[in-house]
Amino acid sequence: MNKFIRVNMTTKKAKFEDVPNKYKMLGGRGLTSNIINDEVKPTCHPLGKNNKIVLAPGLLSGTSAPNSGRLSVGAKSPLTGGIKESNTGGTFSQQMARLGIKAIIIEGMPKDDKFYVIRIDKDDVIIEEAPEEALNGCGNYEAVKILNKKYGDKAGMALIGPAGEYRLPSANIAFKDPESNLRAAGRGGLGAVLGSKRVKAIVIDDTDAGRVPIADPDKFREASRVFSKALLEHPVSGESLAEYGTDVLVNIINEAGGFPSYNFTKGRIEHADNISGETLSATIKERKGEGMVSHACHRGCVIRCSQWYADEEGKYITSGFEYETIWGLGADAGIEDLDAIASIDRAMDDVGVDSIEVAVAIATAMDGGLIPWGDGKAALEIVKQMAKPTPMARIIAGGCAIVGKLCGLFRVPVVKDQAIPAYDPRPIKGIGLTYATTPMGADHTAGYCVSGNILKVGADIDPLKKEGQIEYSRAMQIGTAAVDSTGMCLFVYFGIADNPDGYQAMINMINAQYGLSLTAEDIDKLGEDVLKVEREFNRKAGFSNAHDRLPEFMEYEPLPPHNVVWDFTPEEIDEVFNF
Amino acid sequence: MFEDRGNTIELRGFLHLNTYIRKKFGTMPVIFDLDGEITGKDLAKRLNVPLNEIEVIFVNGFVQGLDFVIKPGDRVALLPPGCPGPYRIALGFYGKNQNNPANFKIKERKLKNLY
Repeated sequence: MNKFIRVNMTTKKAKFEDVPNKYKMLGGRGLTSNIINDEVKPTCHPLGKNNKIVLAPGLLSGTSAPNSGRLSVGAKSPLTGGIKESNTGGTFSQQMARLGIKAIIIEGMPKDDKFYVIRIDKDDVIIEEAPEEALNGCGNYEAVKILNKKYGDKAGMALIGPAGEYRLPSANIAFKDPESNLRAAGRGGLGAVLGSKRVKAIVIDDTDAGRVPIADPDKFREASRVFSKALLEHPVSGESLAEYGTDVLVNIINEAGGFPSYNFTKGRIEHADNISGETLSATIKERKGEGMVSHACHRGCVIRCSQWYADEEGKYITSGFEYETIWGLGADAGIEDLDAIASIDRAMDDVGVDSIEVAVAIATAMDGGLIPWGDGKAALEIVKQMAKPTPMARIIAGGCAIVGKLCGLFRVPVVKDQAIPAYDPRPIKGIGLTYATTPMGADHTAGYCVSGNILKVGADIDPLKKEGQIEYSRAMQIGTAAVDSTGMCLFVYFGIADNPDGYQAMINMINAQYGLSLTAEDIDKLGEDVLKVEREFNRKAGFSNAHDRLPEFMEYEPLPPHNVVWDFTPEEIDEVFNF
Repeated sequence: MFEDRGNTIELRGFLHLNTYIRKKFGTMPVIFDLDGEITGKDLAKRLNVPLNEIEVIFVNGFVQGLDFVIKPGDRVALLPPGCPGPYRIALGFYGKNQNNPANFKIKERKLKNLY
């Protein structure tokens, strides 16, 4: 990957650029965050002409490394006001990498109000008007069909739905998967940033692209084999995720009493069985038809945590039906029917909004009396209205913080205005420290991985006690920032956590590809540097340690069944980033 | 202890043990009779669940090892290996699973067909 594409939407001109030396050994999140920090005015309005949006494959993307097809998208977030990296599957990352494109940087904004498609192939970048029929309320599923017809089924695609066109704060960027279904860079409202630049879609055609060069193919093959084996031999990545999806966590987190429900007033629900991964899997199998228990969101994924969920007639409703979405609607909003949740998930994908932010906003609106508790039909109707947003649809798509304010609530589960996902920080304290301190706003995927011996970090953690949690959160955030830079799916961590050979194999693949001799310490250093850059941007944007706090209600509202509160002091929280 | 359930426990199984317990008892959760206190290990034996199919157990919402003593009235869940990694750390599995046959030594683990 030896070139950048820089697209100026003010002039509607694009150019290829050489990659500056300082960026050569960066990829994914490491690259997007560095470019944003270097090039974007930290105090700019996220929807104004001075924001930029950057798409970057990881260091290993485009190779045969298992699970290396993830893409990072970075910008200043209109939801949080801070730096954002949002991560997605789909085919786009590998196609970019095969074309040798290390990053696409989109800047400026047109003076007209048309929407455009940026089309990229081996030799050229063309900016052309978006087809009218894909705009003005057309859902993502239909828009993909329209764009496929024009650009071909095999072209990779990033696109915004109506929510992005209307620049709603929870708008996501959808990415085509191998079957032309939708994945998303979901969090932080980056679809609104792309919408502000009047970019409806980015289409990438990798016809005649060469292979990604590998400095030492034999070493790469061997490392890839060890890595793949580590994933497939582990009961999580090799079995449970493929069988139950990420929704396997419903019963586990519910049983642990950390399953935030009814707007974070309870930690356990009675109807977990309705929405559990076990039920999800059994339902798909029973219905047959188009449903499938296991599916890969990108080529080379051996974990296959995605699935196709079908209705009673066996007709496809949605894929990538994630634990956090099912939790948000099923527990936090109390919608007890999995089919109703699946339909809302599809509608959210179709209008192009983050299914965590909107689910939590719906639950908060229920607490505020705007929607009846557990009313799946009402929730679905509001999400559908986001295609041509009514005032109510705009309010909910504004995200949890806005809904909480408008409802006059103090119980508003956000950090840096981003909704807290599916793990309550009161009885699972380590995750709470990550929510509080990550530069991303509340984000469970900010603390996923550590390098080295897991027992040094996690051997003695008690989820309800403070001991060891600061070290845990720090190590997890550093490890995650590093893995997010490789293009690897974070779920590889499930497999390599217990197998140091697997972690080393990931590093060996990078070394074999680039002719390097990086160690685990070097990878940790990369993670630390990424976090420091992100924090620096946020500081310049006006954030301080006072923003690294959980919502105050968690300090005085005990969460049943364990009836615990959040009890870390500000000084203790600030220790997480003391490195 | 959550409520008075007499000489019984409220029992759940997760992942493939969900299917197993449903097939065995026809319901989930199961109200399971005990003669008195019982360790997780002995409970597994009574249920014919091989020990290497349980990474940890939950007792009243707390993660425990298989040596933990379960009392009548407890809410119990059996969790096979398969919980995603970061949560195994965050929920404290590593502090509890070290004496269990199904701990992180996954290379030695052989899957047995339960059904």
